[in-house]
Amino acid sequence: MTDVKLDLVDLTKQYAPGIAPAVDKLNMQVEEGHLVALLGPSGCGKTTTLRMVSGLMDPSAGAIVVDGRDITRVPVHKRGMGMVFQSYALFPHMNVADNVSFGLQMRKVSKAQQKRRVAEALDMVQLGHLADRQVKALSGGQQQRIALARALVVEPTLLLLDEPLSNLDAKLRETMRTEIRAIQQRTQATTLFVTHDQDEALDMADRIAIMNGGLIEQFGSPTEVYERPSTRFVAHFVGRANLLAAKVVEKVTDANAAGEVRYRLDVAGLGAAGALGRAGLEGTTRTVLVRPHRLVIEKGEGSGVTGTVEATSYTGDAVTMQVRVGEHLLSAETHTLGDHVARPGDSVRVSWAPEGALVIPEATEG
Amino acid sequence: MTVPATATLAGVDAAHLRGPGAQERAARRRDARVRWALLLPGFLGLIVSFVFPLIYMIRMSFNRGEPNGVVHDGFTFETYAQALSDPYYWQVTGNTFYMGIITAVLCVAASYPIALFLARSESKWKGVLIALAIAPLLTSAVVRTFGWMVILGNQGLINTTLTSMGLIDTPIQLANSMTGVIIGLVEIFMPYAILVMISGFGRINPQLEEAAGSLGASKARVFGKITLPLSMPGVLMAALMVFVLSISTFITPRLLGGGIVQVLATEVYDQATGLLNWPFAAALSTILLVLFGAVIAIYGAVIKKLGFNS
Repeated sequence: MTDVKLDLVDLTKQYAPGIAPAVDKLNMQVEEGHLVALLGPSGCGKTTTLRMVSGLMDPSAGAIVVDGRDITRVPVHKRGMGMVFQSYALFPHMNVADNVSFGLQMRKVSKAQQKRRVAEALDMVQLGHLADRQVKALSGGQQQRIALARALVVEPTLLLLDEPLSNLDAKLRETMRTEIRAIQQRTQATTLFVTHDQDEALDMADRIAIMNGGLIEQFGSPTEVYERPSTRFVAHFVGRANLLAAKVVEKVTDANAAGEVRYRLDVAGLGAAGALGRAGLEGTTRTVLVRPHRLVIEKGEGSGVTGTVEATSYTGDAVTMQVRVGEHLLSAETHTLGDHVARPGDSVRVSWAPEGALVIPEATEG
Repeated sequence: MTVPATATLAGVDAAHLRGPGAQERAARRRDARVRWALLLPGFLGLIVSFVFPLIYMIRMSFNRGEPNGVVHDGFTFETYAQALSDPYYWQVTGNTFYMGIITAVLCVAASYPIALFLARSESKWKGVLIALAIAPLLTSAVVRTFGWMVILGNQGLINTTLTSMGLIDTPIQLANSMTGVIIGLVEIFMPYAILVMISGFGRINPQLEEAAGSLGASKARVFGKITLPLSMPGVLMAALMVFVLSISTFITPRLLGGGIVQVLATEVYDQATGLLNWPFAAALSTILLVLFGAVIAIYGAVIKKLGFNS
C-alpha cells in the first residue's frame, strides 16, 4: 500500500451507555491524495465519524492517526484540518476575503502573505472578483465555493466535506461535483466526503466507505461497490437492484483472473439461472444481485421465464419496467429504442446473462 | 369536507357562480376581512387603554396647574417652560439617564453568560432552567425591592456581614442611594434581558463557531471573533429594553432610593399625587416620552448603521 494519510483504528462513539454506538470499532485507511466518500443513510454514523476526525467530537474509544501521529486527543483548533459544512458556515459579519483569510489570521500569517494566498484561493474557485462582497449577498453555489476556498487556503492536512452539496439545486450540484473533484485533484488534498447521495460518491470518490449502523459494510472503489457489493445492504444502497434468494447449486467454470467462478443457481420462484461469484459458495443459500439494466426483456418468444409488465416509467433516455414474475416484482431498464419496449399488461420473457448477475458473498439470514 | 365557518360571512355562494377567478378574489377579500376582524378587539383595547389616555395626558400638559390641585383649562407652554428652565429638572433627567444606562450595561453583562448557556444547552432540563431563570417575574417588583432593602440596608445582610467580619467600621451606604437602586434594578430586569438574549442567540448557527475552531481559533478567539460579534443584535436589543424599562420604573427608585434618588418617574409621581399638579406631571411625562422616542430612534439608526438589521 502507498502512503497512508489517515488511519482510523477501532474508532468508536457511543453517545450514552446502553444505546447502540453511533460508530462501532471503525477501521479505515485513507491513502494520500485520495478522496474517500463516507456513504450511507442518515444515522449510519458517517457524520459522527467525520466530526471525530475533525476534532469537533471526542471519540469514546479508538484512535485517529494522521501521518503516523496519533491526534486523538489534539483539540480541534490544533489539527489543521479544513472543513466545509453543510450550511457552509460562512461568517456573516465578515466579507468574502475576511472569511477566506480567517484561518491564515489564526495562524498568524503575515498580512502580505494573507493577501496573496486569499487571492490565489479565490481564483481557484473562480470568485476572485467577489473578494469585497458581503457573504449574505452570495448565491448558494458561490457560498459553497467560498467555503471550499476558506478550507483549502490553510493547506489543510485533511479536507473534510460534510454533505457540501445537499443545499444546492440539482443542476448546480452536478457542476459543483465536477469542480470540487477537479480542485481536489489539483491540490492533491486528502479528502473525506460525507454524503448520502450515491451518485455523488460514485462520481467523485477514489474509494467509497459504505456505512450502515455505525459499521463500514464495504470499503472499495466505486466500481467495486457497484459491481461487486459484498453485502445485500451495499447492493441495495448503491444503485438500483433486484435481489433474489437463490440456492447455489454448483460451479460450472474454474476461477477466472479475478478469482470468480460461474455458478448454476436455483432461484426461488424463477428456476435455473447463472451468476458469477467468489469461489467456495457451492451448496449455500445466497442473495443474487441483478441490476435492472442487466435484465433482458423480450417480447414474444425468448429465453428465460414469462412475466407480465405491470408498470412502465419513461424518462427519455431509458424506460423502466416493473415486471411481475410469480411472486417477484422485477425492475428492468432498457433503452427507448428498439422493439423490446413493452406496455403495461404485455407478456414478456425475462432472462439475464450469468455475467450480468452476482452471488453476494454475505450469508443470508435464516 | 367541512365548510369553514367564515365561508358564510363572505357570500361564497354567490362567488362560486362567477367562476374560479372571482372565487379566488372573493376568498382573498374574505381572508382580509377575517384578519381585520381578528385585529379589532386588540385594536379597540389599545385605543381605550393607551391612545386615549396618552392624548389626554398630552392635552393635560398644556393646561396650567396650581400646587393646590386646581387645573386651569387652556393652552399654554408654561409648564414646559418651567420644567425646562429649572436646573433641578435637568439634574433629574441626568439622573434618569445615568441610572438607565448603568443599569442596562450591568444587567446585560450579568445576563449574557446565563443567556448564552441557556441558549446553547442541550440538557433535557433546559426548559426547567429557563423557567428558573425567569421565575423572579412571578413575584412583583415591589416584593423584590423590599428584599433588596433587607439585603442592602445599613442593618442589612451585606453590612452586618462585613461589620461582623471586621472589614468595615461604619455601614456602606447601599440602600437609599443610586448604587442600591441600580443593584435592585439590575436584578429585577435580568429575566427580561435573559429572555431577549436567548431568542437572539438561538439564531446564531453553532456551525460558525465550529468552523472557526476548525480553522485554528482557540475557544477564547472563537468567542471574541465569532460569538460575541454575532450576539450583538440580541445584546443591543436587551440593553435597549432594560434601559427603557428602568427609566420608566417608579417603584424601585422610590423605595430603594429612599426619597434621595430623584428620577423623572418618581418626580412625576410626586407632582401628581403629592402636589396634585397634574399639568406639570403630564408635562414631565411627555418629556420622558419624547426622550424615549429619541433614544429608540437614535438606537435604531445606530444598529442599522452597524449592519445588525438582519
